[in-house]
Amino acid sequence: MRRRLIATVSNGKGAIIMLRRLLSPRLARSPRRPPVMRHPIRVATALLPLLLYGGPSPAIDEAQTPASGAWEYLRQQFYGTRAIGVLDESFMSLEVAANTPDPAATPLNVRFGAAAIGHIRQVRVIIDNNPSPVVSTFEFARGARVAEIGLRVRVDRFTSVRAIAETTDGTLEMRSSWVNASGGCSAPPSAAEGGQLGEIRFRAAGNARSLQVGIRHPNNSGFQIDPVSGEAIAPHFVSHIRLSTAGRTLIDGDTGISLSENPTLRIVSDQALPAPLTVDVIDSKDGHFSASWQGLAAGHAATARATGALGDP
Amino acid sequence: MRRQAWRVAALVWLCLAGARWHGTLAQARDAFTVREVAPGVFVHFGRMLALDVPGHDDIANIGFIVGSKCVAVIDTGGSSSVGRALRAAIARRTRVPVCYVVNTHVHVDHVLGNIAFKPDRPRFVGHVRLAAAMLRSRAFFLRQYAGDLDQPPSADQLIAPDTPVERELELDLGDRRLRLRAWPIAHTDCDLTVLDEQSGTLWTGDLLFRERLPALDGSASGWLSVIGELGQWNVRRTVPGHGALTGDLGAALSAERRYLLALIDGVRAELERGASMQQAIQRVATAEEPNWLLWDSTHPRNVARLYQQMEWQSDPTN
Repeated sequence: MRRRLIATVSNGKGAIIMLRRLLSPRLARSPRRPPVMRHPIRVATALLPLLLYGGPSPAIDEAQTPASGAWEYLRQQFYGTRAIGVLDESFMSLEVAANTPDPAATPLNVRFGAAAIGHIRQVRVIIDNNPSPVVSTFEFARGARVAEIGLRVRVDRFTSVRAIAETTDGTLEMRSSWVNASGGCSAPPSAAEGGQLGEIRFRAAGNARSLQVGIRHPNNSGFQIDPVSGEAIAPHFVSHIRLSTAGRTLIDGDTGISLSENPTLRIVSDQALPAPLTVDVIDSKDGHFSASWQGLAAGHAATARATGALGDP
Repeated sequence: MRRQAWRVAALVWLCLAGARWHGTLAQARDAFTVREVAPGVFVHFGRMLALDVPGHDDIANIGFIVGSKCVAVIDTGGSSSVGRALRAAIARRTRVPVCYVVNTHVHVDHVLGNIAFKPDRPRFVGHVRLAAAMLRSRAFFLRQYAGDLDQPPSADQLIAPDTPVERELELDLGDRRLRLRAWPIAHTDCDLTVLDEQSGTLWTGDLLFRERLPALDGSASGWLSVIGELGQWNVRRTVPGHGALTGDLGAALSAERRYLLALIDGVRAELERGASMQQAIQRVATAEEPNWLLWDSTHPRNVARLYQQMEWQSDPTN
């Protein structure tokens, strides 16, 4: 048994329980006890001294609110009533810090285990409480040996972050995690502003199994305010990222305003990545940017070219 | 049912503990202390707390310098109430009016108390870039630190400087001169130091952290060069932005310098080997951890920030 699935919904009660479980990832992982009551009480008691103090607690109010509306809707829209497995961390895991080092650029990894690599068709990342919850939807070419996909995202407030993968045999897997943050979507451009719009940088790890693609782009969310003029900065964001080799698409993704400024996509495989690898980027103003990674320097080139890790069935 | 009872008991206990905690804080506020570190130079030393816990509005070193005609306030704390406590402490010490309120930089723990001094009609003095930095932070302050302002919170409580310092400025307090120096981008983009020549006391603002881990909100390399220059200064005592008074500025700066160098070298090495931001956060400068307080709430942010800056700098890798 590689995975345990939550029972398929067959009646109304089941649907409610399942939804509740889905709303709260911690509950879903400990199904023995009645799930509904535990979590809110635990949160309330943990936060009580802070509430009594009455100091600033922007994230706390939101912790009381079930992070539900967006996910309930999106689940229905994307996955209908299909069962979603949520248990086996060795098949797939989501890595994101509970306290983000940077709300405007929170690093997030979806990692696939040996049984999953080569069997993933699609990965979607959702941040429930963001103004635009769907961060990205990446389609993998058949057989693409993606061991890990990493993004940097904006987190607007205390929220569930989820990654939902669809396998090539049509089953669904979800991992989720709580992230505490504030103001990621409206944070003014800051950390590494400017540069040449659309410049693309590659950083490969020594064995060519991992490649970080950085795209110089403000990825303006539409929720940022120009501090000097006081006017809203118009949205201008990367809407599409495609990785291909030898004319063949390997990874194809729709993205949006929940990606950070200077969006990055990190791909890790269990084999050396193919080279040259071409990245095509399209933004919301129909800007097109493209660059190719030529593989590692001469000494490592053979390894880089030897296997088409991404995409060969 | 038994579990339920325990929960209720736990809730009651937490209520009581919370109330006590609150009471303790209120007492701490009443007992707002300032120490006269040199004749006419008074410092209130902030607490070593993170920015998201009760008491976070009282973490910076703030204070005032008394001349024969004027008092200059240097930083005002992280809330209107800390600002008022400082104002009350001044009133207990002297009848000389507050002519200047100097802010060493934009951070919340140094500026939110400005509002308390509005009735004194002082000149508000800061780095030439401070006003813009406060404008940039306005929405963040109002959202994140609303509880530290007078209720209801409003933007007009955030008081920006009316007297900008482009490079240097002298303030005459009456038989006492303060030399203000505005620095290039370092801890933030609007750092300012205050030197009281008479007593040889330097106020560094957050260009110098002691005990508490330095927080990077500007440029690590810029900060290093400011440290290099400050290290040449010959002063009798230094009031850091956070941490204890020191008579040895050079030694205090070198601890900070060591951390910043480890941060820069570490991030560069991680970028060169193609590591992700998370990997960098886990590995960079970890040997420094035992030397500092509040590591977990500051170091990951420092690495994340520097990583994002350095990944777009020109470099030979790939």
